[in-house]
Amino acid sequence: MANKKVDLSIDFLGKRFLNPFMLSSSPVSNSAEILAQAFEAGWGGVVYKTLGADNIKIIHPSPRMSGYNYHAKRLVGLQNVEQITDRTLKDNLADILYLKKHYPKHVVAASLMGFSNDEWAYLAKAAEDNGADMLELNFSCPHMAVEGSGSKVGQAFHLLEKFTATVKKVTTLPIIAKLTPNITDMTEPALYAKKGGADAISAINTVAGISGIGLDDWVPRPNIFGIGARSGYSGPAVKPIGLRFIADMAECRELGLPLSGIGGIETWIDALEYLLVGASTIQVTTGIIHYGHRIVEDMIEGLSDYMVSKGISRVQDLVGKALPNIKETDHFDLGRQGISSYDLDRCIGCGQCYLVCKNTGGQALEWDAEKRRPSLIEEKCLSCMICSFVCPVEGLITFKEMPKDWKRRDTDLMDPELVKQVKLAPFAAKE
Amino acid sequence: MSIADNFKEMEKGFDFTQALAEADRCLLCYDAPCSKGCPAETEPGTFIRKLRFHNITGAIRTIKENNILGGACGVLCPTEKLCEKECAATGIGEPIKIGKIQRFLVEHSWDLGFQVFDKPPARKEQVAVVGSGPSGLSCAAELARAGFGVTVFDEHPEPGGVLRYGVIPIRFDNSFLERELEDLKVLGVKFVCNQRIEGRGGAEKLLEKGFRAVFLGPGLWEAHRLLPEAKEQPGVYSSVKYLEALRKGRFAELEKDFKGKTVAVIGGGSVAMDCVRSAARLGASDVYLIYRRSYVQMPAEEDERIEALEEGIHFLLLNQPLEYLTDGSKGLAGVKLVRTRLGKPDASGRRKPLAVEGSEWVLDVNLVIEAIGNRAVEDSPEWYPGLEVSEKKLIKTADQTGKTAHPAIFAGGDIVRGPGLVVEAVQDGKLAARAIMETLSNEEES
Repeated sequence: MANKKVDLSIDFLGKRFLNPFMLSSSPVSNSAEILAQAFEAGWGGVVYKTLGADNIKIIHPSPRMSGYNYHAKRLVGLQNVEQITDRTLKDNLADILYLKKHYPKHVVAASLMGFSNDEWAYLAKAAEDNGADMLELNFSCPHMAVEGSGSKVGQAFHLLEKFTATVKKVTTLPIIAKLTPNITDMTEPALYAKKGGADAISAINTVAGISGIGLDDWVPRPNIFGIGARSGYSGPAVKPIGLRFIADMAECRELGLPLSGIGGIETWIDALEYLLVGASTIQVTTGIIHYGHRIVEDMIEGLSDYMVSKGISRVQDLVGKALPNIKETDHFDLGRQGISSYDLDRCIGCGQCYLVCKNTGGQALEWDAEKRRPSLIEEKCLSCMICSFVCPVEGLITFKEMPKDWKRRDTDLMDPELVKQVKLAPFAAKE
Repeated sequence: MSIADNFKEMEKGFDFTQALAEADRCLLCYDAPCSKGCPAETEPGTFIRKLRFHNITGAIRTIKENNILGGACGVLCPTEKLCEKECAATGIGEPIKIGKIQRFLVEHSWDLGFQVFDKPPARKEQVAVVGSGPSGLSCAAELARAGFGVTVFDEHPEPGGVLRYGVIPIRFDNSFLERELEDLKVLGVKFVCNQRIEGRGGAEKLLEKGFRAVFLGPGLWEAHRLLPEAKEQPGVYSSVKYLEALRKGRFAELEKDFKGKTVAVIGGGSVAMDCVRSAARLGASDVYLIYRRSYVQMPAEEDERIEALEEGIHFLLLNQPLEYLTDGSKGLAGVKLVRTRLGKPDASGRRKPLAVEGSEWVLDVNLVIEAIGNRAVEDSPEWYPGLEVSEKKLIKTADQTGKTAHPAIFAGGDIVRGPGLVVEAVQDGKLAARAIMETLSNEEES
């Protein structure tokens, strides 16, 4: 494919990124040793693992993580209780110097977390003095063992604003505020961050969750010697939550800040979706934990080929492209209705469509037990499309729009006689 | 390392992860077609769904309550011709490996220490089961679960019949069998081995001893021979005698016979595959499989055929053995063959092999194993003179019930249907047990 025709580079906060694919601040960005490999593999940048000021000793719980499986599929989600870095600030800064020396074209943002106002200022200055390209303020880790830190700050908006302002005062570097999804509306803390001086928002950090409980010990996983905790859940299952929050902030005119999208990204398609709802860069951890650095090769090649096929030459031209199509649900054209449509020549006779329609849908399918084939009673089809989700043959069941004058049949009554016995007065609005 | 070590390892089944991954592939069909493909009414559609939803003990219960030999069937069933043949997933790829999942679940029950059965409240009626092969065990379990006192008689030193003495241990070994027999012991079934029910009216005599009913499932233990009229030929084994020697662990003796020798096995079924594969493991230098039709007509399962080929067995297809050649006093020198071609389908539906005139040739071999099928023991009809017996000395029963001409004697398995599958015998035993219960309950009432 003609990869040369497209340019995956993108400007973000005044820095040129080779591509929009970054490692997020997390277990995968804890040292130069690991990040050198990532840059060699093709990642465009990193948010270096959250630095601390060494005033409180950080010891990670053991074990730190637990995988969440779906049937035989392993690691559809990840539960982790890892804290900010447990390395000394000096060691981390030396590693940042190393990365900037050996990989000058790669962007290194430093994630920070202070446990007091002064610590925030101290860390920001230290990161700037040692070559960090930008700062990301960690207001969002949901499982910090230090009281009143992490997502606790991200949920206390005035505090978030104050710490951002503190950092702003001591640095000239661009500032990203990393926000927690463990709130209702993210535009609110984002606006506080902006007021404090943030230049961009990154989201989402992990979702606070409990993904598994031991059946013999009744301890949530990971089991830290008899204790479990609400902790950070990540991976493919959180992508819809991340996309929604990024879209919310991208649409918020008052905010108007560039965004870095995080949450459940493994493929170029996931990354592209984040771009389409308004992110300019994307960040990955769980995908790398699951598959290693190599997945960036497929992100680069996949996105490049996609852009060639769409005749789009700059990543920037994809940012926010889906936003005009995201509306409130009252915008739907309810006059247009359709049904599911079956290409029965390809049917293998598993009958799952019949089962789900019978148990959860419109009772719109009949079943020929002899031939093992469904047949659709069109006027009963709700177009829920559940049948198409369970059908193992790709594309066998599709949505088909019906003519304007087509009418769906009302749901059958079990006993029409009972209508006469219903006790119901007509609704009268009380002013 | 001794020759016996070559037979120690039974081929591995699925582990938990593999079983779960395979269950994940299952389409969980509505009105599952696989559940209609089992002669013993096993419901893979149900036990795979249970596994998928981590109701693992429930899955095991589904298998074992229906088939006391669920593990054995999981290993030995020609699933590609039964449940897996009906699998809808074939339409988008490979059928689900149902047999392997079934075997896993039964083996997993042992790892879990999960007991499906409790000893039920005892009833006073005693029933005798003759033969501890699949039909006998199945019948015994079904009766014991209903509380009947059951005693199983077998002429062999240990119970299991064909499962113990008719299959090579790399396919199905004694420790697997013992664990599955454990369930019968939990149910209170008594085994009396080294006890042949023979002599005139042997079966009827059991009734005189106080057993209220007798189930006959003695199986077929006499081998069909290539040259029925000829006298015993040195260097020629029947599969029955050969496999029995193997399963009784007479490795030293067998090794002496087989090591470094050229061996030919006649036949194309599962037993023939067992014979060639085990002969190679006994140290034979070359092992030929002689079959009068072609590859696709072989009754053996595809897996077994491929394994045999990969283990270096020479398949000599479209060749019909005619006679044995001797080298004076010492033993076998060769087998005389004639090439065949396939004509029109015969009664079995397979194309009939026709000898190619003038194409006789001699294959130099030191040993031959005839694996061309089993038949009823010659004098077996005398054990039960009150029953109706066919020309092939098979017992005649009323369909599906195992009822014979004698009201208190029932029969099933190969002695009724001729050479069949383990799973078919299981079903025979189960249905006969139900008929026995019905008969005894009716007697109770009247």
